[in-house]
Amino acid sequence: MKIKQAHLDAIAAHGKTGYPHEVCGVLLGRYGDGRVARSVEMKNIETDQPRIRYQIDPAEHLRAQRESRDAGLDIIGYYHTHPDHPPRPSPTDLARAMATGGLTDGSFHIVMSIEDGVRASAPCGWIFRFDSERFDEEPFEIED
Amino acid sequence: MAVRVQIPAPLRPLTGGADTVEVEAKDIAGVIDGLEGKHKGLKDRLCDQTGNLRSYVRIFVNDEDIRFLQEKSTALKAGDTVAIVPAIAGGC
Repeated sequence: MKIKQAHLDAIAAHGKTGYPHEVCGVLLGRYGDGRVARSVEMKNIETDQPRIRYQIDPAEHLRAQRESRDAGLDIIGYYHTHPDHPPRPSPTDLARAMATGGLTDGSFHIVMSIEDGVRASAPCGWIFRFDSERFDEEPFEIED
Repeated sequence: MAVRVQIPAPLRPLTGGADTVEVEAKDIAGVIDGLEGKHKGLKDRLCDQTGNLRSYVRIFVNDEDIRFLQEKSTALKAGDTVAIVPAIAGGC
């Protein structure tokens, strides 16, 4: 997966701003193209445990889906942060992804750890595989 | 009546790549059956084994989430746009 450093910097900045809560967003591109064209911040509407849980507002997600279609793009993936936790998909991430019934099959996920609110980890990329019920690590190719 | 259903990218292999499918339906339950009739396998992606909508699948009629309408009984009118959206959530 190819992604610009500016997008990773924006995700890290979003994560630091939102710390100690998790933050989240969508990644836009063309399906099968292997490149992130845009990252867009979404609101974490989780209210019970926002330090360890996130949930994208479905209405905001719908707007992003429509705007991406209008721009000739698709939502190809998502990002979220793990404040003071490792930057890899958790059992909760997998359970929630499976509950979408494959609506996110093949989507690209970036997980970034934010430590003490100031240090962003190297991001990790993953592809969600509905049929095999797992996230497979997906290396980045960072573009300028 | 005909309504347009927007298909999210991960489901398009089941629709032959189409990003929009038109179906004849009077409510959301009819949309799901109509989609399955045209593209086998779609209903399994949207509904669990009991036929209920999966817990992290959201369906909108125009801008309204059917959870706040009449869910699968939500009535449709000709020209409505139905959108399928995954509920994205997780945590560490």
